[in-house]
Amino acid sequence: MAGERTRQAQQRNRRNGSRFPGTASPPAGSSGEHEELAVGRRGFLKAAGFGLMLAGCRQAPLEKAIPFLIPPEEIVPGRSLYYASTCTACPAACGLLAKTRDGRPIKLEGNPAHPLSRGALCALGQASILGLYDKWRPRNPRHQGQDTSWEQIDAQIMERLEGLRRGGGALRLLTGTLNSPALEAVVKRFLAGFPDARRISYDPVSRSAILDAHLQTHGKRVLPRYRFDRAEVILSFDADFLGTWISPVEHTAGYREARSPDVETPRRCYHVQVESRLSLTGSKADRRIVAAPHEHGPLAVQLAAALADLAGESFPGEVQRNEGLAQRVEPLARMLWRARRRSLVVSGSPDPAFQTACNYLNELLGNYGRTLELGPASRQREGDDGALAGLLEELGRGEVGALLVWGVDPVFELPLEGRWETLLEQVPLMISLDDRLTETCGLADYFCPDHHYLESWGDREPVEGVLSLLQPCIEPLGRTRPLIESLSAWMGDSRPAYELLREHWRSALFPRQRQETSFDAFWDRALHDGVAQIEPESRSFSEARFEPRMFGDGSREVSPAEGEFSLVLYPKVGILDGRHADNPWLQELPDPISKATWGNYACLAPLAAEAIGVREGDLIRLGAVAGQGPELELPVLVQPGQHERVVAVALGYGGKATRRFAGIGPRWLEAGETVGNDGRVGVNSAPFIRLQARHLVYSGVPVRLSPTGERRQLARTQLYDAITVPASLALPGGERRPAVKEVTWEELFDPHLPVEPGTHSEHGSSQDLWPDDHPYTGRRWAMTIDLDACTGCSACVIACQVENNIPVVGRDEVRRQREMHWLRIDRYYWGQGENLRVAHQPMPCQHCQNAPCETVCPVLATVHSAEGLNQQVYNRCVGTRYCANNCPYKVRRFNWFDYAHEDELENLVLNPDVTVRSRGVMEKCSFCVQRIQEAKIEAKRRGVELRDGEIQSACQQTCPASAIVFGNINDAGSRVAQLAQSARHYRVLEELNVKPAVAYLKLVSRPDPQEEGHG
Amino acid sequence: MANPAVSLREPLIAGRKTSAQVSRDICAVLDRRPTALWWSAFLLALSTLLLGVAAVGYQISVGIGTWGLNRTVGWAFDITNFVFWVGIGHAGTLISAVLFLLRQPWRTSVNRSAEAMTIFAVICAGLFPVIHMGRPWLAFWMIPYPNWRGPLWINFRSPLVWDFFAILTYFTISLVFWYVGLVPDLATIRDRTAPGLRRRLLSFLSLGWDGSQRTWQRYETVYKLLAGLATPLVISVHTIVSWDFATSLIPGWHTTLLPPYFVAGAIFSGMSMVLTLMIVARKVMRLEDYITRQHIDKMCKVTLATGLMVGFAYVIEFFTALYSGNQYEQFVFVNRALGPFWWSYWIMVGCNVAIPQLFWLRRVRRTVWAVLVISIVINVGMWFERFVIIVTSLHRDFLPAAWSSYAPTWIEIATLAGSFGLFFTCFLLFCRFVPVIAISEVKGVLSVGRQFDEPLPPPAGARPLRAVPAAAGAVAQTEATQ
Amino acid sequence: MKSSIATYTLLVALVFSLLALGQRARGFRLPGDQQGYEPVQPIAFSHRLHAGDLEIDCHYCHSGAERSRHAGIPATGTCMNCHRFVTASWGAVREENRRAQREERPPRRLLSPEIAKLYGHLGLDPNGEMGPGSQASPLSWIRIHSLPDFAYFDHRAHSVAGLGCPTCHGPVETMERVRQQESLSMGWCVNCHRQTRTGIQGAPVEASLDCSTCHY
Repeated sequence: MAGERTRQAQQRNRRNGSRFPGTASPPAGSSGEHEELAVGRRGFLKAAGFGLMLAGCRQAPLEKAIPFLIPPEEIVPGRSLYYASTCTACPAACGLLAKTRDGRPIKLEGNPAHPLSRGALCALGQASILGLYDKWRPRNPRHQGQDTSWEQIDAQIMERLEGLRRGGGALRLLTGTLNSPALEAVVKRFLAGFPDARRISYDPVSRSAILDAHLQTHGKRVLPRYRFDRAEVILSFDADFLGTWISPVEHTAGYREARSPDVETPRRCYHVQVESRLSLTGSKADRRIVAAPHEHGPLAVQLAAALADLAGESFPGEVQRNEGLAQRVEPLARMLWRARRRSLVVSGSPDPAFQTACNYLNELLGNYGRTLELGPASRQREGDDGALAGLLEELGRGEVGALLVWGVDPVFELPLEGRWETLLEQVPLMISLDDRLTETCGLADYFCPDHHYLESWGDREPVEGVLSLLQPCIEPLGRTRPLIESLSAWMGDSRPAYELLREHWRSALFPRQRQETSFDAFWDRALHDGVAQIEPESRSFSEARFEPRMFGDGSREVSPAEGEFSLVLYPKVGILDGRHADNPWLQELPDPISKATWGNYACLAPLAAEAIGVREGDLIRLGAVAGQGPELELPVLVQPGQHERVVAVALGYGGKATRRFAGIGPRWLEAGETVGNDGRVGVNSAPFIRLQARHLVYSGVPVRLSPTGERRQLARTQLYDAITVPASLALPGGERRPAVKEVTWEELFDPHLPVEPGTHSEHGSSQDLWPDDHPYTGRRWAMTIDLDACTGCSACVIACQVENNIPVVGRDEVRRQREMHWLRIDRYYWGQGENLRVAHQPMPCQHCQNAPCETVCPVLATVHSAEGLNQQVYNRCVGTRYCANNCPYKVRRFNWFDYAHEDELENLVLNPDVTVRSRGVMEKCSFCVQRIQEAKIEAKRRGVELRDGEIQSACQQTCPASAIVFGNINDAGSRVAQLAQSARHYRVLEELNVKPAVAYLKLVSRPDPQEEGHG
Repeated sequence: MANPAVSLREPLIAGRKTSAQVSRDICAVLDRRPTALWWSAFLLALSTLLLGVAAVGYQISVGIGTWGLNRTVGWAFDITNFVFWVGIGHAGTLISAVLFLLRQPWRTSVNRSAEAMTIFAVICAGLFPVIHMGRPWLAFWMIPYPNWRGPLWINFRSPLVWDFFAILTYFTISLVFWYVGLVPDLATIRDRTAPGLRRRLLSFLSLGWDGSQRTWQRYETVYKLLAGLATPLVISVHTIVSWDFATSLIPGWHTTLLPPYFVAGAIFSGMSMVLTLMIVARKVMRLEDYITRQHIDKMCKVTLATGLMVGFAYVIEFFTALYSGNQYEQFVFVNRALGPFWWSYWIMVGCNVAIPQLFWLRRVRRTVWAVLVISIVINVGMWFERFVIIVTSLHRDFLPAAWSSYAPTWIEIATLAGSFGLFFTCFLLFCRFVPVIAISEVKGVLSVGRQFDEPLPPPAGARPLRAVPAAAGAVAQTEATQ
Repeated sequence: MKSSIATYTLLVALVFSLLALGQRARGFRLPGDQQGYEPVQPIAFSHRLHAGDLEIDCHYCHSGAERSRHAGIPATGTCMNCHRFVTASWGAVREENRRAQREERPPRRLLSPEIAKLYGHLGLDPNGEMGPGSQASPLSWIRIHSLPDFAYFDHRAHSVAGLGCPTCHGPVETMERVRQQESLSMGWCVNCHRQTRTGIQGAPVEASLDCSTCHY
C-alpha cells in the first residue's frame, strides 16, 4: 500500500516536473545581487545587535560593482525610463507606461494619453507585471512535453501542416478576443493558405449575446461602445460594468464623469442596478432592485412594453400582463423616458433575446449614437458562442484535422462535462500557442510558447480607429516566440514581429490617418504616445428593426423549485475567468465586496443561510438537481444584498496553475496551508456553465445545497462588515460609527440648506500638548479621497503593493488578520434588503499631525517630517508594536516573519527605491515618499519649482475614478488645497484631534430624480 | 488561659519558642537534605522553565508571528504576563517597606520570602518587554547611550521608556533591600556552619557582621532608610506601568483611573501570591509555628481591602464610560461584558470581586486550605484582569472594519508556563539556600502577645550559639525602647 | 595597613587596564564602519594620475553624479576614449620611438600590462581590434563607498547643492588606490546636514534632517 502511494507520489512529481520547469536563472543584467544584499542587511542588523559577536568581523561582505562594458544609450544607472505599451491582461486593452530600471520593468502606470483608460489601470493590469517574472512560465517550445528547439518544432509542424494542406483537412484556430490588426492580418494570410481554415474565437466570460442581438436588430455583429460619460440615467441588468464587464477602467472613468458634483455644471447621473447578487457596480447604484436571474427577463420585457406605451408605439414582442411587475417598472419607465437620448440600458445577460429587449429599449429611448455607439464600435469582445458550438460539433464528428489554440483554455474555462478532453484527444494535430501553461496545453502535441506581452511587439484596436501599441520593455527571458512570428514562420516568412507589425501599419493603417505625412513620423509618435487615432473602417449598419421572434419566449431561465437555489456564476474582480489565478497578488487581493482572499465560496443571502442552517465557513455541497452532473464543495459566505433564492459562486478558481501556491507564506509550527485538500486554491465552478441553444449560460441553473458539517474558515481581511456596532452591544446614540459620512444632492446644491463648512481649518479648539512641534513652514503633503468616486475596484491596493515591495503572506496569515497591504479598503454596509447601502473607504496611513504612534515609540523609529509625513524608519524599529496598538485607524503593518524573497526571478520586480523590510519591524503607507524624494531632487537639479500634480502616489496614479488627490496643501493653488474647501470635505475620527493629513469627501446620496420636480 | 489578659492578644509566634529554637527551626530547613517533595516540585518547576525557554527560543528564531497576535491586537499574552508579574512583585515591597515603617510586627515572618518573591516576579516581568520585541537583539536601543548616529537619542515621551527605568529602579532597590535584610541571618548561618568554602562564602556575604551593638544600630538605620526609599516605589512602579495604557488613546486604556486601579490591583495580586506561597511553604517546611493562622488572617484582611478597591475600580470604569457620552468608550465596556470576550470579563469579576468577599468571614480566613484556594483563584482573576484590559480594548476599537479577534498559540501558552517555571525554580532554590524567615526579626517579636510576667522557658536542651543571644537581646531592646 | 596595600595594588591594576583599553579603543570600530577601507582593485587604476596629474574632471568618468542617484562606475568603454590611443607611459613610448629610429623601423605599439587587462576585458587585441574569437568579459571592481540598503544617498542633491566630491570622498586626486576617507556613518551625515543648514558658500540649501530624506 505504502509502495503504491509512493509510486503515485513519484508519478505526480514527474507530471509536475514535466508541467513546470525548474526555477529559471535570472537573465543577464538582472540584479541578482539585490537579494544577496537584502540578506546581508538582515544579517548586519542582527549582528549589529549582538555587537560582541562582531568583534572579529571587520569588513562587511565584499561588494562588487560591475559596470557595463559598452553603455547602452539612455540607460543611466539609478534612473527610470518609461515605455508606452498596452495592457493585454484582458481584451479591454488599456494603455500603460512601463517603468523600467536598468533594463527591467518594475511597475506599470496608466498612460494618460490613452483615450479610453485615461491614465488608469485596473488591479489586473497592475498585477500583470508579475507574470513576466513568473518562474513557472514556459521558456522553451515543447513536443509531447519534451523541451525542443524552434528549428525542430517548426520543421515538424510545417511538415504536418503541409500534409494537412494537401489532404484538404480542416484547420481551426481557436482564440480569445483578438483585436490586434497586425495579428489579424497575419492570421488571415495564414488561414488563407489552407483549403478549409477558420478562426473561431470565444470569451470565457461570454458577451456574445450582445453582438448576436445587434446582428439581429442592426444587421451587424458589433459590440457597441458604451458612453457612460454621456448618460444621465443608467439602467443595468446584472452588468457589472464598473468591475468586470467589458472595459471596467473606461466605464469607471466615464461613470465618474457623469456623476461628478465637483465640476462647473454638476452632473447627477442616476444609476439603477437590477441584480441577483451584490456586485461592485451594484454597490455604487443609487437604487438596487434585487431580482433572481429568471425575473430579469420579464422585468425587461415589461419595461419595454411600458416604454412602448409612453412612446406611443406597440411593443413587437408578446407580453404576458403582470400587474405586479407593471407597477414595479412603471416609475422606471417614466424616469428613462424623461431622460431619453441621455439614458443607457445595459445588460450582462448571455441571452440574445434579453439583449434584444435592451436594444429595443435603447432604440426607443434614442440612445443609439449618443450613449452607445455602433460606429466607431468597441472591439473589446468578439467571442462567438455559436461558432464555438459549431467547432464542438465539428470536433465531435472528427472533422478537424488541426487545431491551434491561443489565448484561451477551454479545458479549464468551459469543461462542458469534460467534453473538451475527449474531443481534443482525437484531434490529429493540436498546437498550443499560449504564453503560459494552460490546462489545454497538456493535451497539445506541440507547445509553442508566446512572449509575455511586456516582451513583445504588437498592437491593439480596442475601439475602431483607436490604435494602441505594444513595445517590448525587456529582452525575452526565455526562448519563447510571439504568435505572429510563429504563424508567419510556418508560412515560410521568418521576419521578426517588429517588421511584421511595421509593415502592416505602413500598408494598412498609415493610409487611414491624417496627422502625419511620413510613416516614420507617424510610427515614432505612435510609439512615443503608445496610441494613435486613425479613420475607423466604414462599418455600415442597417436601421434597427425588431421582430417578435427576436424577443424569444420571455426568459430562458427556469425559476428554481421550492428548496432549490438558482446558481449564479460570476467573474470576480482581479480573477475574472481565472487566466491570472496564478498571480499571488491577485489571489491575496481582497474581493471588493466580500473582502475574502485565496479561493472562492458560495455566497448566500442571510435569510437563505439561516434557512439551511449554515454560517460563514461551513462547507456546503452544491449539486445539480438532476442528481448526476457536477458537484462542488464550497465554504459559505453570508452576503447581504443578495436574493434569497440565489447562490453565487466566482469563476476562475481551482485551476492546476494554483498548485504552485502549496507552501506559500511563512512556514512554522502552526502554519496552515494556502491550498485546499486537492492542492489547489478554490474550486472550479466552470463545470456548471452550459452551452444552451448555442449560447453559454452562466446563471439560473437550479441547484440543491446540502451542508457537509465540515468547516473551512474563509480568509477575509474584514471580519465585521457593518458601519453600525452589534445591536446587542449598542447604547442609544452609539449605534453608528461616523467613519463614513453622507450628504444628499440637495444639501450640496440647495442654497437654502445650510452646509457645514469644510473642515480643513484646524478642527475644534485643538489644544495640543506640543503646539509648535510642526510649523510646516514649507510644503505640507496631504491627500483627499473621494468616497463618492471610489468604487472599491482595488486597483490602488495592487499598485501600492507593486510600488512598495509589499510581500504576499498566504491564506493562513490573512486568516490570522496579518495581511500586509498598506492600503486597505474598508467596505461598510448599512440598511437592509434593497435599501442596503455600501461604502468603500480606502484607508492608508493618515499621516496625522498629532500622530499617536509617534509619541509612544521608545526608539524614535516613527517620527514626523517637516513636510507633514509620518515617517517610519525600518532600520530603527525594534518592533514593540506599541505604535500599531495606539493607531486609531489600525493602518500599521508588522513583519511577523521574514517573508519570502527567495525567488530570484520574482525579485526582479522589486522596486529598488524602497527598502525590503526584514522580520520584526513595523511598516505602513509612506505617501510614496520615494516618489516625493525623486521629484524634489529632480526639480532641484533642473532648478525649477515642483508643480502640483507632478508627484502622484501609486494609488492615485492608477485610480480609474480619480478618487485620490495628493499634493501640497500649503500651496493654495493645489487641487488638494482646493478640495479642502469642499462642502463634502471631512476627516475620519476628527474628534480625536490627531489631525490626519488624509481627508475624505462625503458620499453623495442621489434621491430618485422623479421624487423632486425637475427631470 | 485563666488570666483574661492572655486572650487579649494571642502570641504572634506559636509554640513558646526561645531564640535558640528559632535559629534551629529555621536553619533546620537549610541543614536538612532536600525532601522528596522539594525535589519533585523543583524538577516540575525546572521542566516548565525549560519548556518556556524552548518556546521563547523558537519564537525569537522564527518570529513574533508564532504568537497569536494580528494587525489589530498587537499585544496580548506578552504584556498581560508582564503586568501580571510586576503586580505580583508589589506585595514584597509593601510588606517589607510599608509595614516595616508602620511597625507591623506580624510582617517579620513573611517579609523575607515576600521580598524574594518580589525579586523573582520582577525578573519574570522584565523578561516580557524584551522578548515581545520584533527584534529583541536590539533591545539595548532602549538605553540612552552616546552613539554614532548623530547622536540619536531615545523618545523620552514614550511610556515604554519610563517603564524601562521604573522597572529597573524597582528591581535594584528590591534586591538591595532584600540583601541588607539578609545580612544578620547570613551571619547566623555562617556561625552555624563548620569552616570550609561555604563558611568563607557566607562570611564574605555577611559583610563581616559581628552582632555587636554598633552593627545592629548601623543595620537598623540602613534598613529604615531603604524602607523609606522603597515605599514610593510601591506607588510609582505600577503607576508608570499603567501609563503605558493610560497615555494611549485606545478606548478602555485612555483613562486617568488606571494608576490607582493598577496599584491596588498589584497589591491585591501580590498579597494573594504571598498567601499561596506561604501556605505551601509553612506546610512543607514545617513552619506552622512561625507563620501562624494569625499571619494568614492579617494578610487575608489586606487582600480583602485591596480587592474591594479593585472592585470599586471596575464599577467606576463603567460609570466613567457611560457618563462620558463617548460612544467608543461606552462600546468598549459594554463589549467587555457582553462581547466575544465576555467570559474573560466575568472570570475576572468572579475571581477578583465575588469570591474574595468570603474573607469577611473569620472562619474562612482561619481555614488554611480555603485561603489557599481563594488566593489561587485571585491570582487567576488578576491575570485575566490584565488580559481583559489589553485584549478586549484592542480587538474592537474605533473603525469596525479593523476589528479583529485573538487566540493564543501554543508557543504563547508555553511562554506563560515558562515564566511560572522560572518563578518557582527561583523560589524553591531560595527556600533551599536562604532562611525563608528573617530569623533576627522574628526573634525580635517573640515576645509579642506573650504575658511578660511569665518566664521564658529554659533553653530546651540545645546549646545556644554565640552570636545569637546578643543579637536577640539587641533587637528585644530596640523593640522595647520604642 | 593591609587594606592600604590592597588599595594601591587595585589602583595600579586600574591604571594598567585603562591603558590597555585605550590601546584597544583606538582600534575599535563599529560593525559596518569601513573607514579607511582600501582594497586592491582588479586593475591598478591610479586616481592620483588621472584626477591629480592629468586633472581629468571627476564627472568625466563618474557622469552619473549630476544626473542620477548613483555617480556610477564608468563603463569600461569609457576608458577607451583615451586608451585607444594612450596605451603606455609617455616615457616608454618615447624610448620605443627612439629605438625604432635607431633600428630604422616603424615604432611598435606598446601596451602597458594594466591597460592590457582593460583590452582583455573588452575582448580587444593589442592593436585595439576585435580579434576573432576574442571574448569580452565584464570588469568587476570592488566597491568601496557603500551604504547599507536602508540608506538612500542621492548624488544629484549634493552636487546641485554645490558640495564638491572631496567633501565625502576625500582628496581622491592624491590617492594611488582609492581609500574610504570618511566613516560614512549616520552621525557623520547628520552633523554635516546640521551645519550646512546655513548654506554652502553662501548659497542657501535646505539640508533636511527628516529621517525620510535617506530612509524609506
